[in-house]
Amino acid sequence: MEKLLEIKNLSKSFGDHLVLDNITTDINKGDVLCLVGPSGGGKSTFLRSLNLLEVPTGGSIFFDGVEITNPKTNIDEVRKKIGMVFQHFNLFPHLTILENMTLSPINVLKLSKSEAEEKAKVLLTRVGLIEKMDTYPNMLSGGQKQRVAIVRSLMMNPEVMLFDEPTSALDPEMVGEVLDVMKELAKEKMTMVVVTHEMGFAREVANRVAFLDQGQFAYENSPDKFFKEPENERLRSFLSKVL
Amino acid sequence: MEKISKALHLNLIKDNRYMYLVDGLKNTMVITLFATILGIVLGLVIALVRTTYDNTNGLKNSNVLFRSLIKLANGICQVYITLIRGTPVVIQLMILFFCIFTSRDASGVLIAIIGFGLNSSAYVAEIFRSGLMSIDQGQMEAGRSLGLSYLDTMRFIIVPQAFKVVLPSLCNEFIVLIKETSVAGYVAVQDLTKGGDIIRSRTYDAWTPLLIVAGIYLLLTCIFSAIVKRLEINLRKNERTA
Repeated sequence: MEKLLEIKNLSKSFGDHLVLDNITTDINKGDVLCLVGPSGGGKSTFLRSLNLLEVPTGGSIFFDGVEITNPKTNIDEVRKKIGMVFQHFNLFPHLTILENMTLSPINVLKLSKSEAEEKAKVLLTRVGLIEKMDTYPNMLSGGQKQRVAIVRSLMMNPEVMLFDEPTSALDPEMVGEVLDVMKELAKEKMTMVVVTHEMGFAREVANRVAFLDQGQFAYENSPDKFFKEPENERLRSFLSKVL
Repeated sequence: MEKISKALHLNLIKDNRYMYLVDGLKNTMVITLFATILGIVLGLVIALVRTTYDNTNGLKNSNVLFRSLIKLANGICQVYITLIRGTPVVIQLMILFFCIFTSRDASGVLIAIIGFGLNSSAYVAEIFRSGLMSIDQGQMEAGRSLGLSYLDTMRFIIVPQAFKVVLPSLCNEFIVLIKETSVAGYVAVQDLTKGGDIIRSRTYDAWTPLLIVAGIYLLLTCIFSAIVKRLEINLRKNERTA
């Protein structure tokens, strides 16, 4: 197993409030790691630390052997290879779908406009949104927006994709279409870290499920054992509430 | 009726006196237009410095040299804004004209453009800053997580959206400037107001030229207000949902 992300003694506090408490774990290539847990448990903060949207207050993170928590590391270089999908999509409202997707490839990866558009069209076709390419984000439904957000990240050929509650802001009938795209990605061996409340998705797609509680990986196991025989009191009580 | 047409003839037609107003209007528009452009460019730079400082303040994990540079720049900008907003524009103009550009061949129009431009930039900077701050933090995060640099994210994502938010205020600034430039006469610029004033001194008729000048200002601001309204409607087009 090749390590992609190494997290060592990661801590983060906001003022006096300790949100991440000395977390150490590795994420290997091809892993699909689902993070579940009560709100305020540190799931999103952990995820956002992995591409330094949150700057840790302690510990270190290595990506492909490069210490990204070192201030001397060019974080833009690292972020090119780490895709991120947000709860609220964060599409750029002043740009068309196609422009949303090609902006970064053209300016960061230095693709030509036609190369980038070609690639965007292939991806949009895959998620069934090719006819939307010239419209603006606010003309799409939530599920469509999130599918665009996912393929926008894929435009950069990331080595890992981070998902921050990608279906939490969606109407229930749109959750499925987004999860389907994510399942496809998992099948293609994309490395994924997913903060989610979709226990069904975690059970079906993940190879690791971790329970984040009080800033720690309180319990981690394969999805089978995680859901069937959780050996952790707090996790049992959490699961009994959400399942 | 005959009295009015006599007055108009005396103040406008005789000796081609209307040319004072035409030339004056030309200068007023040139000064306003270029001062607005200067104000917007400079104001945007100041707003970006101030916003960047606010964004990076407290971030331990960033370049130390960059942080001290931005802190210094932010300090300079704050002093600049305080000075400009705390003193009358006429005084600023006169300092420029009589103290700094003392050379005889310095063009009054150019000095007025610089003076009103600098003055406007302090106000425009605060307009831009409020616009930049109104953009959802998620936009910056999305841009950065796609590998775009801070400046590129500002340039392609944040500034265009902020610009749209503040466009009505910017146009309003232009309309305010049209009227504000009427003090340009203090530094020997023959603008619209000065043009009317010259006519008054020739004809000893105060009512007619001043009312005409006031009417022209009113007409100008009405026209530009209407244009701004149009622009806003056009800009909102892609915000509408299907």
